[in-house]
Amino acid sequence: MFPRFGRDVGFPILGSAVLFTVFLAGALFYQSTQGRAAERLVTVMLIDAIIVIGIQIYVGNTGVLSFGHIGFGAIAGYAFAVLAISPAEKLKRIPDAPFGLDEVLLNPGLAIAVAIGVTLVVALVVGIGLARSGAESGAVAATVITLALLFVAHEVARNWPDLTGGDRAGLSFKVGAALDSRLPIYACLLAALIVARLYAQSRSGKLAVAAREDNLAARAMGVNPLVQQTAALLISVVVVSAGSALRVFENGSILPDDFFFRYTLLTLTMLIVGGRNSVTGALVGVAVMTVGRELARRLGQDGFEMFGLGLDDGPLDWIFRENLQTVFLGLAMLGFMIFRSDGLLGDWELDAWLWRRWQRRRPEEPMPEPLAEIAPVGLHVEVDRRGPALEVHDLAVDFGGFRALDGAGLTVAPDEVVGLIGPNGAGKTTLVNVITGIVEPTAGRFTVGERDLSAEPSHEIARAGLVRTFQNLRLFGALTVRQNVELASRVAARHRPGSHPPVETLIAEAGLWQVRDRRARELDYGSARRLELARAAAMAPDFLLLDEPTSGMSDTESTEMIRRVRHMAAAVDAGVLVIDHDLNFITGISDRIYVLDQGRVISVGTPDEVQADPAVRAVYLGTERSG
Amino acid sequence: MTELAQNLIDGLGRGSIYALLALGVAVVFGVMHLLNFAHGELITVGGYVALWTLGGNWSWYLVAPLIVVSAILTSLVIERVAFSRVRGSSDFTLLLTSFGVHFVVSAMFLLYVSASVKPFARPTWVTNTYSVGSLNIEVFDTVVIVVTVLTLIGTTLLLQRTMFGLSLRAAAADFDTARLMGVRSDTVIRGAFALSGLLAGIAGVFWLMRAGSINPTAGINPMLKGVLAALIGGLGSLRGAVIGGLALGLAEVLLRSRLPDSVASLTEGVVFLLIALLFIFRPQGLITVAHAERV
Repeated sequence: MFPRFGRDVGFPILGSAVLFTVFLAGALFYQSTQGRAAERLVTVMLIDAIIVIGIQIYVGNTGVLSFGHIGFGAIAGYAFAVLAISPAEKLKRIPDAPFGLDEVLLNPGLAIAVAIGVTLVVALVVGIGLARSGAESGAVAATVITLALLFVAHEVARNWPDLTGGDRAGLSFKVGAALDSRLPIYACLLAALIVARLYAQSRSGKLAVAAREDNLAARAMGVNPLVQQTAALLISVVVVSAGSALRVFENGSILPDDFFFRYTLLTLTMLIVGGRNSVTGALVGVAVMTVGRELARRLGQDGFEMFGLGLDDGPLDWIFRENLQTVFLGLAMLGFMIFRSDGLLGDWELDAWLWRRWQRRRPEEPMPEPLAEIAPVGLHVEVDRRGPALEVHDLAVDFGGFRALDGAGLTVAPDEVVGLIGPNGAGKTTLVNVITGIVEPTAGRFTVGERDLSAEPSHEIARAGLVRTFQNLRLFGALTVRQNVELASRVAARHRPGSHPPVETLIAEAGLWQVRDRRARELDYGSARRLELARAAAMAPDFLLLDEPTSGMSDTESTEMIRRVRHMAAAVDAGVLVIDHDLNFITGISDRIYVLDQGRVISVGTPDEVQADPAVRAVYLGTERSG
Repeated sequence: MTELAQNLIDGLGRGSIYALLALGVAVVFGVMHLLNFAHGELITVGGYVALWTLGGNWSWYLVAPLIVVSAILTSLVIERVAFSRVRGSSDFTLLLTSFGVHFVVSAMFLLYVSASVKPFARPTWVTNTYSVGSLNIEVFDTVVIVVTVLTLIGTTLLLQRTMFGLSLRAAAADFDTARLMGVRSDTVIRGAFALSGLLAGIAGVFWLMRAGSINPTAGINPMLKGVLAALIGGLGSLRGAVIGGLALGLAEVLLRSRLPDSVASLTEGVVFLLIALLFIFRPQGLITVAHAERV
């Protein structure tokens, strides 16, 4: 089922080739009209494109803002220069190079490979650091760590003249020894595009994007974001390193300031102007910003004369000054952040668009058959107790001085629907948060069969078969309905044993077939709730934990939800723990009910038994009657 | 022993300025969840005010309040022009918006004033020192520490005793709830930017007195110190910001005097590295601020 060859491999490669061709054709056309003067501009743009696409792989897929990629570029650039510059030249600049590096000479291809390797080692260390700091979309700590990398790389380059030639002299190739052909740049750009698109469509890329959209929900779906972020970082660093080495090779020299703040600003602006979440966008951003900067530069130099207009721009002289492009760059970044923070293209991709058009020409996908019919609702079937049960023992949770859970325990058998009910603040959601690894318990433990899950992280718990929905809806907003379900299915395919319900069937079952290609954030409230259910079911869980699945729904919708929950749970063969404070809903859906009050279980039994329990009437119905 | 005492005093003087900067960063972060990378521009603007007025032979006693006022006004203008438009946006957008402001302001000075470093007259007493026992104490450091203490007392009173302070603290703790309780978000956010500008202005006066020159990118350094100190202190926490500032000042002075000469020029890099390590092992900063995400 995954990956779908056309969508995830064929079209991305095709699309990258098309993008590359169009981009290059445009550049070469411009060059042919401007003559040799434009040659350098085009070369620089091509190299910038490689580096920006490299940055996109990390920033776009993870949502972590990195200032450090140009720092990685500096490391790769220096490693390349030190290895590829001839010993004769090094004798002039860095005669005392450490580790005998002054004698080393590698051919450029090999030097690039080694430079990438060296940078990867640094990236791995930084990646572990980022992971430890709890990197997630927009995380400040992660951004500061990347900023630290940029500054440290720069400081080391400035202050280690034996290796880098220092602040003034730097390192340079012998005249004429620099890169004189564009072929390696073309090859590298095409490869960068393909790598970026294939990664975005890969399993790791999809999971990283899910974590970008909602870190907590991704973890609750069995995704370990840190693994995916590190993968994205390493791949992105390979591309940035290759681009940076080429940049040094083409320039013929390297200085600390070549890979510092200014270049970081330039590349980041290119990325966000085009649209950081899209490879196509990144490339468009490079083109737009290169053209814009060039125009601004010339406007600053020549005023209106650059347009061949005879207009008197004298009064505007005070605006059109040298270095106008610097202001342009800053304004572009600021303007896009304020007015269009997703950039020109948002997350539009050429190959995905082509793929959709291709699909439209094919016959309409038939709506899948519904899941096998099961025993009617409300009938208490003798359950088969072969599978392990979920057991929760004596959980206690303290929030500061407040005891949210105070020795609560419960059991859910496989194939059983258990309700958990209680007034507001009774600790229901806290209990689900504990058994999904989001809140750490002060005391107590919970197990599925023999396996103690109390100390496991969220994603391990999800993979062990405890899958939840959220009271306040946590979908992957930028992904479509189908992608939301597919994602869970991908995790299940790797980490959950046994058979998995087909994605299409689940979507149809949730009544979302008509809107399957809509983005999750565009769904109405009821559909969004049903999508959460379908997404959880796609994990093929042993136990579904539903946190107020009908909150905000009408009575009719609630009744419909009861049917759906029982149906889905039976179809994927899962036990259910459902939280609600709506007594009608809970009694309608549950085989057994636990009543929670002030962090303790005060009653347990069938719906009838619980409703008859005086303690429950006092605490729960009592408050309801007076309220 | 003497050397350590000397380091402590030097570090306190330096750290006091950082503390004021960090406090300004933390105040804004509290109400808007914005890490303000444009905080240093308040000082850049003050620097050009100093350049122009001192060039006209104004006295520092007149120039200093002008710098403070210009920092407050700049802070309010930046809020109005840029930050008010991205309120409630993603953290990613907020971060890059503040970076954008930083770059636009410095590029404007680069283009329309001058790219070069412009010196101006420093007050004559800046370099004076006096001795206590075997310690050499700068008059400047003494003034800085005294003014910082007074400013912190004033800020504390403002936050503890006034309605505005209460609103600000409430908003920092839980913005949505504060709004429901009748705190006006516009008032509180603008107030926070004004306070942040005031603190940056006071810090800026000292920063500029010591620097004695201004250039378009002069804001980067104070910005980094303020942001890093606020991060060390744990961002949301105002007390943490002050502690973070002092800690950063002391760390710099100690590193500079203790590191062997060959790496002493790497001080900035070492500080950065230490901070990165701090984040890796204690992402919440030195002072933990409890902030539970509602699930």
